[in-house]
Amino acid sequence: MARGGIRGRGGMNRGIGRPPYKVKMFLPRHPFDLALCESSFPRVKPAPDETAFTQALLKRNVDLSPTASEQTAILNLVTKIQTVLDNLVVAPGAFDACQLEEVRQVGSFKKGTMVTGHNVADIVVILKTLPTREAVEALGNKVKEDLKSLMKSEVVTKGEQLTHTTNERGIEISNSFACVRVMVTTLHHNIRKLDPEIHLDQKIMLSHLAAIRHSRWFEENAHHSSIKVLIRLLRDIRTRFEGFEPLTPWMLDLLAHFAIMHNPSRQALPINVAFRRVFQLLSAGLFLPGSAGITDPCEGVSLRIHTAMTLEQQDICCLTAQTLLRVLSHGGYKHILGLEGNASIAKEMSVWDGVVVSPLDKAYENPPEKKDGEEEDEDMEAEGDESMETIEN
Amino acid sequence: MATNNYFGFTHGGTQYSATATGAAYQAGQAGYAVAAPATAAAAAATYGTQRAAGYDTAYQAAAATQGTYAAVGTGATPAYEYGYGQTAAAGYTGGYDQTAAAAAAKPATYATTYTQRAAGQPQAQAAAAAAAAAKPAQYTGTYQANATGYQATYAQPAAQTTIAAQPTTQAKQANSTTTYSGYDAALYSAATMYVAQQGGAAQQKSGGWQGYKKGGIGAKNMRTKAPPKPQQLHYCDVCKISCAGPQTYREHLEGQKHKKREAATKMAASVAVTNQNRAGNSLRCQLCDVTCTGNDAYAAHIRGAKHQKVVLLHTKLGKPIPPQEPEIIGGPRNGDSKDDEVDEQPEPDIQPVGQDYIEEIKSDDGKVISFNCKLCECRFNDPNAKEMHMKGRRHRLQYKKKVNPDLVVDVKPSLRQRKIQEEKMRRAALREEFWARRHYNMPEDEDDRMYWEDRRRYEEEYMEMCRRGNLGPYPRGRPPFPGGAPPYFQGGMPMARRTESSDDRHVMARHSEIYPKEEELQSIQRIVSHTERALKTVSDQLAESTKPKEGQAQQPPTPQQPVAAPAANAANATPAAAKPVEAPAVVPKPESENKSAEQQQQQPKEDGRDNQLFSFQQDRDANRILKGVMRVGHLAKGLLLRGDTNVELVVLCADKPTLALLRKVVDLLPPALKQVAPENTYTVTINAAEAGLTVVGDGLTVLVQLTSPIMREQEAASGGLDRDVLARGKCLQALAALRHTKWFQARALGLHSCVVIIRILRDLCQRVPTWSPLSSWAMELLAEKVISSVPGQVQLSPGDALRRVMEAVASGLLLPGGPGLGDPCEKDSPDAASGLSAQQREDLTCSAQYALRLIAYRQIYKVLGMEPLPTQQKVFRRDRSARKRRRSGGEQADSESDSGKMVKTEGTETTTETPVK
Repeated sequence: MARGGIRGRGGMNRGIGRPPYKVKMFLPRHPFDLALCESSFPRVKPAPDETAFTQALLKRNVDLSPTASEQTAILNLVTKIQTVLDNLVVAPGAFDACQLEEVRQVGSFKKGTMVTGHNVADIVVILKTLPTREAVEALGNKVKEDLKSLMKSEVVTKGEQLTHTTNERGIEISNSFACVRVMVTTLHHNIRKLDPEIHLDQKIMLSHLAAIRHSRWFEENAHHSSIKVLIRLLRDIRTRFEGFEPLTPWMLDLLAHFAIMHNPSRQALPINVAFRRVFQLLSAGLFLPGSAGITDPCEGVSLRIHTAMTLEQQDICCLTAQTLLRVLSHGGYKHILGLEGNASIAKEMSVWDGVVVSPLDKAYENPPEKKDGEEEDEDMEAEGDESMETIEN
Repeated sequence: MATNNYFGFTHGGTQYSATATGAAYQAGQAGYAVAAPATAAAAAATYGTQRAAGYDTAYQAAAATQGTYAAVGTGATPAYEYGYGQTAAAGYTGGYDQTAAAAAAKPATYATTYTQRAAGQPQAQAAAAAAAAAKPAQYTGTYQANATGYQATYAQPAAQTTIAAQPTTQAKQANSTTTYSGYDAALYSAATMYVAQQGGAAQQKSGGWQGYKKGGIGAKNMRTKAPPKPQQLHYCDVCKISCAGPQTYREHLEGQKHKKREAATKMAASVAVTNQNRAGNSLRCQLCDVTCTGNDAYAAHIRGAKHQKVVLLHTKLGKPIPPQEPEIIGGPRNGDSKDDEVDEQPEPDIQPVGQDYIEEIKSDDGKVISFNCKLCECRFNDPNAKEMHMKGRRHRLQYKKKVNPDLVVDVKPSLRQRKIQEEKMRRAALREEFWARRHYNMPEDEDDRMYWEDRRRYEEEYMEMCRRGNLGPYPRGRPPFPGGAPPYFQGGMPMARRTESSDDRHVMARHSEIYPKEEELQSIQRIVSHTERALKTVSDQLAESTKPKEGQAQQPPTPQQPVAAPAANAANATPAAAKPVEAPAVVPKPESENKSAEQQQQQPKEDGRDNQLFSFQQDRDANRILKGVMRVGHLAKGLLLRGDTNVELVVLCADKPTLALLRKVVDLLPPALKQVAPENTYTVTINAAEAGLTVVGDGLTVLVQLTSPIMREQEAASGGLDRDVLARGKCLQALAALRHTKWFQARALGLHSCVVIIRILRDLCQRVPTWSPLSSWAMELLAEKVISSVPGQVQLSPGDALRRVMEAVASGLLLPGGPGLGDPCEKDSPDAASGLSAQQREDLTCSAQYALRLIAYRQIYKVLGMEPLPTQQKVFRRDRSARKRRRSGGEQADSESDSGKMVKTEGTETTTETPVK
């Protein structure tokens, strides 16, 4: 009698007495996860010594962490801009092109997961008014002026000259050391009113709102430093291995959190275990169609985060992880971390201790065959639907 | 003698029956849910927000889930703040848009007065209203608080009209009394305005009167009929234009414009009425008879070319030019100086908005030639026009719509709008009534009421759950209600039936392809049965030859065989063992199986078809050398595939099996076989290398191995003192095979879809060279562990089970550095897959990884080595094995319906469990 299926799709929720005539039973299932069923697989042979591996992970993390000077540079800029924006919230004065509701820092700088060489901090500005392009332009000019007056007394060296640009997301203010993206969005109930002709893109606005939720979730749940270390490592790996390109920072955050915290004891796993687990999970198809994946904790609807990738991207992401997992288990961690060699290991055959590790082929066929049974097509469609729904909401 | 625990199985059994896995995991989950309440609170906030987004849902939410709102409010996360703002906006402003906006613009409209009247406490409430009027922000609050009362009364038009008359009297009373104080202006104007807008008879009269008077004056002044004779200057007095010549003048007089104008002049009263129906503060240029909506418009008109032209014309003609002062057309309050103040107040207040959206269009030399408003998509050349446009209502509305939704625009609801709003209110009230009835009284239908009551309770619980910290798992905000469909739909709704996924269908189709045919099974059954019975004869003969006297003494066999009885019990107890599909060696129909099991209570069984030990012993003749025979391997596990020709039996000996014994058995067996099955021809050959013999017939080979438990016990002391003893390794293997069979029967047979998957994997290992290094035992262990380790003890469908096995291997379970497969049937559980080389492990993993993705991308047929199945219906017909199972026997039917139930409960379980994740 579980009416309407697990996902509550169909007419069920639309009000009274509309029975769902089409009952879909699509139960995404969690893939095999060794960490969750270790009791079934007691270790029967001694675990290999992983101190060198752990050391390499930690060393790589240190290499990837931003230097003190980078942090100061970006912090300076962020502080200034935050000050200016806060002033605009409190006392807009004659500035009436838009009204600011709230200013929040988001993104990797805020989370403490910044990777060196990528000195970008993100600030989201929520407008009370609707985000027209003119309003953003005006806000940009206002911020520019205010920054100028704020920095009047400072001696501005050449590298610290600020450049201001406006794009479809908001404003970008940068000097040669750091960059701050002021991303504009509007109140949630204004989102519906957005008109693509006049205002900034609705999807971008929603993504900025989501960024705020994400950073809040992160503060509350993912403050463990292992998670931050793992995120940094994963971000680096994402940039080096093509197959991981479609993974968004938010997916990496959740994946790292999942790999470290989601185990029976709820205690953080050691970094080497968690690092390997990321690849194990991805290899086991955590982000493949039909998998329950990871549910986005910041969306009201149950949205599996990997549905944001196309089916082909999911396949490539999975196969890259699968190849790397095998390389990792044969002792190729230095190549994966980028301490040695290059990224070709994901695509070319390599030999480790006499074991030949060969790359995998894509399983995804384009276009998918329709004759395979309509039910599964529906599954796939449902996935598409789901992601679209969330984007709309 | 207890053979059962002899094989060291009890040890393995206890280890395996540790189902604490799931429990531990679930406990962990609960911990997690508690650990993250903050997130959930945020999520709950979002949830509430989304619910409130639509107007009607907001209504229901407010009615049903007051508690939630309050609770979330205390949470007061910033996210919630917008959420709340939104709620308020959607719930109130959305519904009462015009009224609310108007109320905010003009501090006291009829709305407040009205509420106050309805409440029936004029003095106190009036004061409150006045205070509210002073602070618009607070005013909103008051408005919300009163909203329900307001709406309730408002919904009844009859009451409205009766009250409509009252404000005037009330206002008059207020006027007359001395309490008339600071709030007077607002209140008074509100009252009068309300009356004005009500369009009551009295108001109509007064307005009409004023308009009439004015009209009269106008007519007297200059709206005399057009002069019959045109002078040189062809001047039309009505339209205030001059024409170039008589021809055009005539045309003008006949033209529509002129005629309209003339008609309008004649009906001066109507002009007044229309004027007065418009804004309260129109200005009229008496010279041109043009009505302007505001000071600015009037100024613009005066400056404008048209007015200048008329002035010029009038001076030329020597006509009287009325004073520049505009004639104020302000409705009934025209003469009232107070009203003028009030009315003119808001006018200068309007600030131009949206300067940024007006583009200046410049000519080539940089001069501004025109303006373009991007919000309203209109152009004007005059800077004044631009100013006015920016103050104008249309522009402001556009600005409100496109830029700042908070902008207050003076809205005068037209008759139509008001009607729409009224209708909305009425519907809301109706709905409320409906719900109230649903929830509390009027049990039209007891079932019906119960259903809704349950549903409400469920929803409340759900909200409670959400608040406590579980994420709302349901996409559309409303939780599914487990109580089923509302009663009146119950008849027509199809029951939710678990459908097989395409993966399941493929796996089952492939399974029926590899599953041995009936004839194959029967012939295997025959040869095995014959061999077993012949072995028993041999055993009897051997026993007689050693102890002929004792053998005779024990002629009457006791009905309760110590070993056979527990075996029969076991056959009864494990229903899985009795399933024909999963235990293919059992040929007879289940009914007869049951019967035979019962019969076995009385008589000794004649062969080992229940896959338990077939004991040769009769009573306690301890000296018998061949104690019993047992089926092992694929035969006993029910893993035979189509085309399999080799089956295995193990004979347990009392002592170490020696070559001499083996030879003796080989000698005695052919006659015994002849005796058991005279019509079949079997060849018996000795196979000392395998510590046994082979029986070949019908193209099938039965390997009979001799072994003894003593071989194991002796381990340390053996030292090879007896060269005649059969190869120890082989004997131990045979013992292990016995244990594996026991383990399999205890663990894998009862596990949902496990045997099917193991058969599929066996087929895979035979087909695909990469998989062939994986030993059968390791593969069985792997499949069982993977399938049994599903968190929450969920039963997997065959397709899911296969995918899960592939996931496990793909995630590197077998790779070097993995945990290994502990063998429960050996001491210290060594790795059952230790024979695999690193390269083999690598290749296995690689293959599984590809297979996993093939499954995920709907190409499971490639993994299974079959053709893709066409459509679902056809497959259903083709899938005979499933149907066969359903048809056969009572016990099967039971287990089938059991599994069906499990599916259902599983569904609901997931419903309740999902929020935990």
